[in-house]
Amino acid sequence: MTREEQRRRKRELIREQRRREREAWEAARGPLDLPFLLLALLLLAIGLIMLLSASFPSAQASRGANYDPLYYFKRQGMFAAIGVLAMLWVGKINYLRFRGAAKIAMSVSVALLVLVLIPGVGITRNNATRWLGIPGMAVGQFQPSEVAKLGIILFFGDSIARRREKMGTFREGFLPHFLLLCLTAGLTAIEPHFSGALLIFGIGAAMMVVGGIDWRWIAAGAAGLGGGGYMLLFTDLMEKIGYNAARITVWRDPFGGDLEFQRSKAWQVIQSLITIGSGGLLGVGLGKSRQKFMFLPEEHNDFIFAIVFEELGLVGATLIMVLFALLIIRGYWIAIHAGDRFGSLVAVGVTTQIALQAFLNIAVVTNLLPATGISLPFFSYGGTALAIQLVEIGLVLSVSRQMPAPKAG
Amino acid sequence: MKNPKRQPDAARRAKLTIQRRTLALLLVFGVVSFAALFAKAYDLTINQSDDLQKRAAAQQTRSTSISASRGTIYDRSGNIMAISATADTVFLDPNAIESRARELERKRAEKMVEGLKEGEVLPMTGEAYKDLIATELSRILEMDEETIRTRMGKTQSQYEILKKRVEKEVGDQIRSFITDNATGESIRGVHLQVDAKRYYPYSSVAAHVLGFLNSDNQGAYGLEAIYNEELEGDTGLVVTAKDANGGELMFQYEQYYDAEDGHSLELTIDRYIQYRVEQGLEDMVARFGAKNGATGIVMDVNTGGLLAIASSPTYDLMDHHAIYDEALQAELAKTEEENPPAPGETRSEAYTNKLGELQLRQWRNKAVNDTYEPGSTAKILTLSMALEEGSVNRNSTFNCSGSITVADYDIGCSNKAGHGHQTLIEAVGHSCNPAFVNIGLSVGTDRFYDYMEAFGLMEPTGVDLQGDVGGIFAARERFTTLDLACYAFGQNYNITPLQIITAQAACINGGYLRQPYVVEKELDGDGNVVKQHDSTPIRQVISEETSAQVREMLEYVVAEGTGKNGQVAGYRVGGKTGTADKSGTKDPITNPQGDIVVSFLCFAPADDPQIIMLLTLDTPRRDTGTYPSGGNMVAPTASAIMADILPRLGIAPQYTEDQLSDVEATVPYVVGEDETSAAAKLAEYGFANYRTVGEGAEVTDQTPAGGAIVPANAEIILYMGEEKSTELAVVPNVVGMTPAEVNRALVNAGLILKSTGAAGESGVKAISQSLPPDTQTAQGTVVTVQMGQTSTTAD
Repeated sequence: MTREEQRRRKRELIREQRRREREAWEAARGPLDLPFLLLALLLLAIGLIMLLSASFPSAQASRGANYDPLYYFKRQGMFAAIGVLAMLWVGKINYLRFRGAAKIAMSVSVALLVLVLIPGVGITRNNATRWLGIPGMAVGQFQPSEVAKLGIILFFGDSIARRREKMGTFREGFLPHFLLLCLTAGLTAIEPHFSGALLIFGIGAAMMVVGGIDWRWIAAGAAGLGGGGYMLLFTDLMEKIGYNAARITVWRDPFGGDLEFQRSKAWQVIQSLITIGSGGLLGVGLGKSRQKFMFLPEEHNDFIFAIVFEELGLVGATLIMVLFALLIIRGYWIAIHAGDRFGSLVAVGVTTQIALQAFLNIAVVTNLLPATGISLPFFSYGGTALAIQLVEIGLVLSVSRQMPAPKAG
Repeated sequence: MKNPKRQPDAARRAKLTIQRRTLALLLVFGVVSFAALFAKAYDLTINQSDDLQKRAAAQQTRSTSISASRGTIYDRSGNIMAISATADTVFLDPNAIESRARELERKRAEKMVEGLKEGEVLPMTGEAYKDLIATELSRILEMDEETIRTRMGKTQSQYEILKKRVEKEVGDQIRSFITDNATGESIRGVHLQVDAKRYYPYSSVAAHVLGFLNSDNQGAYGLEAIYNEELEGDTGLVVTAKDANGGELMFQYEQYYDAEDGHSLELTIDRYIQYRVEQGLEDMVARFGAKNGATGIVMDVNTGGLLAIASSPTYDLMDHHAIYDEALQAELAKTEEENPPAPGETRSEAYTNKLGELQLRQWRNKAVNDTYEPGSTAKILTLSMALEEGSVNRNSTFNCSGSITVADYDIGCSNKAGHGHQTLIEAVGHSCNPAFVNIGLSVGTDRFYDYMEAFGLMEPTGVDLQGDVGGIFAARERFTTLDLACYAFGQNYNITPLQIITAQAACINGGYLRQPYVVEKELDGDGNVVKQHDSTPIRQVISEETSAQVREMLEYVVAEGTGKNGQVAGYRVGGKTGTADKSGTKDPITNPQGDIVVSFLCFAPADDPQIIMLLTLDTPRRDTGTYPSGGNMVAPTASAIMADILPRLGIAPQYTEDQLSDVEATVPYVVGEDETSAAAKLAEYGFANYRTVGEGAEVTDQTPAGGAIVPANAEIILYMGEEKSTELAVVPNVVGMTPAEVNRALVNAGLILKSTGAAGESGVKAISQSLPPDTQTAQGTVVTVQMGQTSTTAD
């Protein structure tokens, strides 16, 4: 065969494959997965109500919110509305169309992560440069790390799906993904934004695991995580290398230090625990939290779930956790039943992101893990993040539409 | 396996791997992680919930509980006896002051680097900020600046009370200092807590009844303590948010748990009667040097309600720690002099102990807390039961030889010579001990004891006052004839003044024993009656008929017997005197005659009793010139009190011909009239006596001036053109003079006499005068003189 023929044949093959794929999508197009959609909407609705309850005292007290008690609620509601529309729109589009945009999404993500680090471009708050947007304008600001999560999900989905059994190799499977993950997470980490980096790394790692990397890498990763975690939490290694380990000290015994310690370093954790404990079994009642009145910092952001505990009690909070668990289980169920590997991997990526954020957030709020800033999906205040989460839900819904119809019998 | 669309093996394996590993993720992230979260959440919300809720309450309710408005205490006419008003407790938040000071330092440093813009001022230093607070608060609160600085130095604290319950005006000064001061911003770290302060408008009046609050505004004594719960109401709560640094927020969330105002009390006490009785006690104690104070009770005989219940020494409700009584103050001063404080200390231990002892003494409600041997006033009880039993009647006669022998013991009479042959009413009038021993014996030990129980003497009265105690008696099985003989004239047993007046009220009110009480009504915050005292009698002890006879005989005591000094012009008064030996006080060398308690019981009107009063005077001196007996020492004061309080109770006087001359009338204004018409006008107003000074045709001036209220027998001076003398009259000493002498002395001095007490009796003399000798006063001033007997007649 001549080179010309080979090329022609390859083009034909590709054209043929595309045609077949297109036919396949059209043939398998089913309804949106209703349980997943309803669970997501239910959590969104509960999340909005809790945000309203948790945020109005600080909104009323804040100059930034024009002393409008509904300020945060209104903005979050607006983004939720836009997000739901985007979610349904994305759900209608065949996700395979996004596969072609995977490389672009990844490149844009990295470009944005670099851009935010250039002095004068990124917006700095609390000594962290995490935001891009027009300075001074509240609307339209976003975190490149949020975009990067989506970028990783799409790019890894495409790349891992294409590699099939080659994922088991070191050079083609493990190394390129690992390096890309290190680059993305590393760029996020130096913002600094450790929790964002942790999430990006976690999402990528989960997709690699599912994608079929050699089990030895999984074992090594698990061992590294376990060992590192142990050293961090249960030894004084961090103090020895001069790292400020106050968070670990607080985590071990929040009420342990003197008054000064309790009032400064341990304040957030102590207040969160007091808030949760105040709720007891049944809670003080929706809207009746006292801790949200300036006692608990970040009550409408990362620590909103403490208010859920206080107002709705163990019963209410557990119910919400069950909803999260069901959503996550359904997400993985969709991944298992997806029509192709790319779909499975995208569903795994999105679901893992929600699972990691929900677990880490609630673990931090209950002091199961040391404090770090991770928002709770659907609940924490943050418009862009919410909209992107809903778009991701839309992706999973899109995947759910392409599931092969269950065989009769 | 025969699937025509079979995927290539590699793709199938890859898919299988994805599915298996996703399932693993599902288990880890969908089940295991949430199980871990639930376990932790369960631990926090269930196991640690109590501890965490306590911490929550502690931080959320810090300095935010507000006391309910404490109920008011009114007297029977609605005069306020105790009321709460808003006051401010001032406290510092040293932590906030410190952080504000640091903030100022930081801003100052920044400004110094940046440079000041037009019109900007450099922030003050942190030290200057603290100085400002210390000096200003020291000025407003009149506190030592050093003390304030010490408190401010406790920077770990957020709550340092500087001064409790300052007046509203002082609080307002601090408020304006906080908002308007040299820093140009609100002062942070100085706070006011709204609090309540208790005011007693009549300071010492009814002190033992009302009682006082402790420093936490809780009732510590008296009605304030007994009715603390009712008066206090329910404390409210305000949940107020503060930020982590204790600083103020732009917005303060407040959630109110409404305070429920306390209930108010309406007493049976009459402010004026209480005051008048206290004044009488103070006067008696001072005049006769009574070592152990005095008590006075006025009771409504038909309800048991106490119009007044007083004890001396007393104290000032507005400053209950200070020693109020002058004699006690002197005692304390003496202790201080004899026991100078050790170097470096402000008070000696002896002084502190003495102070504590005197405080307890002045707080003691003697009329309810302390028992005494009542003496002859208890003969009313013996008389009542004997008449009721029919063992004596008004025709019974008794012989008194000066003493009587019972079970080999000689019991003497106050009249050593003996009263001779006497009827029952005479025996009562003489207060004859041998006669009463016989009256008592006629009742018999068992029945006598029954009556003592029936009169309620064996148990506390049940009055709503603190420390209500019962009497001390011989046990029934050991109650001998000798005991009976002594009990019959009020010796050898102990009861409280309140107990005996309660029993005596039953003897004269138709026989009904009623529980004494001081709280008539309890009113809620809106003035609705929540509780009303029920005056239903406990029991009837003697019959109406017996009671009428007792009244008649007791009226005789005042009219003809030992109680003459208790007479009140215009009123029919019944009464009984008492002079009781205090057992165990006799000492052959230092105190051969022993200590006594003198007392006087009286009630009015005698034919239809409305009020009954008992005054006791504990351990008067024997060397005051007045023979120590209830009739001589106590009855005149009782008479004066009765004369003042009966008209106030709406009981109008009914004067006899003789007494009419003493009745007061208003002097008419006659200036400008001629003598004839002036005389006519004076006569019309009841003034028969006048004299003229000068030769003019018409009256140019008069003494007393028109409108003055003076006794109608006073002589009115009409100046006919002559200048009225502007010289002041000097009050003469009239004590000890006969009524005629008194009148002459006062008229000569240019003064007008108003005599009170047993003025119409033979052998009476002036006992006291309303203005002390040598006082200079305007001519025509009325001087009230108490007349009475100071003879050696004992009770």
